Amino acid sequence: MGDVHEVPRRRVATAHLAQHIGQPVCFVGRVEKIHPTGKFFVLSDGEGKNTTVELREPLDEEISGIVEVVGRVTNQATIMCMSYVQFREDKSPFDLELYNEALKIIHEFPEYFPFG
Amino acid sequence: QRIRSQNIVPCTVSQLLAAEQVDETFRIRDVEISQVTIMGIIRHAEKAPTNILYKVDDMTAAPMDVRQWVDTDEAGGENVVVPPGTYVKVAGHLRSFQNKKSLVAFKIMPLENMNEFTTHLLEIVNAHMILRKNLMSASRVPQSFASAGMGDVGGYGGGGSLPVNGLTAHQSQVLNLIKNCPVPEGMSLQELKLQLHNMSMSTIKQAVEFLSSEGHIYSTVDDDHYKSTDAE
Repeated sequence: MGDVHEVPRRRVATAHLAQHIGQPVCFVGRVEKIHPTGKFFVLSDGEGKNTTVELREPLDEEISGIVEVVGRVTNQATIMCMSYVQFREDKSPFDLELYNEALKIIHEFPEYFPFG
Repeated sequence: QRIRSQNIVPCTVSQLLAAEQVDETFRIRDVEISQVTIMGIIRHAEKAPTNILYKVDDMTAAPMDVRQWVDTDEAGGENVVVPPGTYVKVAGHLRSFQNKKSLVAFKIMPLENMNEFTTHLLEIVNAHMILRKNLMSASRVPQSFASAGMGDVGGYGGGGSLPVNGLTAHQSQVLNLIKNCPVPEGMSLQELKLQLHNMSMSTIKQAVEFLSSEGHIYSTVDDDHYKSTDAE
């Protein structure tokens, strides 16, 4: 899986990517589009802002809905994906806007929600 | 008898790894913790005859070892192993062995609604903020902390009706009785039950736990007697 899973990965939204170039992050967003080659896709965050996620290997499955990506922020403020998981929404839809609000809270109180 | 050791506190893995151990107790920034909940994704699962060892990842640090003891007497045998890639909530006790932290889980449940995860993020901040505030407030530190445990509906001591001034009707009634009690040892749970005919003992206890965790009341001679922090 790669060493990025052994270190803290800050939960971020699109607006935070520029401040985290080169760093491991965790990004949750809604699938907006998938490139025909399957080598990258676009996620929107809880504020509706888009982020491009690049893959080392093309996707071998259809993805849709809410996806959580773990990876590193590139110089272009995209995310080089090391792994991803789809959130289950079979019982209830995921409230992405609420998640974005929660991100603001956890960023505001690092003493009560430390990354690393 | 200390209520504090019965608290169940939502935490990040990073907080658990940073917890300091003094004898048998753990402290996160001076706040004592024992039972904790974490939520994360299973990265690895290994089944042994007597236990299942998971690695649970919540992104705040490296994945944490979570051990679940298998009930070998259980009819029908097998404990079902939760597969890697599943988001779970774990309730358990923090342990440290040879300087390595782990959790011994008494409950591991797959998340069916990922909004619970969002709630968990907020509950972590809220819980540690309240615990810290209780610790910092002078002299009369409330003894109990009622956290939204697994499967609890309504969060911290919700009384069912809409709260006014942050307190529900039940909580206000209990608080007023305690405030007006002139006896040095304060009001006992039994006296509250006698005066509050409409409330069950469990409702009264829930209200008392909530009021205590919010700092409105504190226990005196024992866990059954309470006084108000608003001095007369």
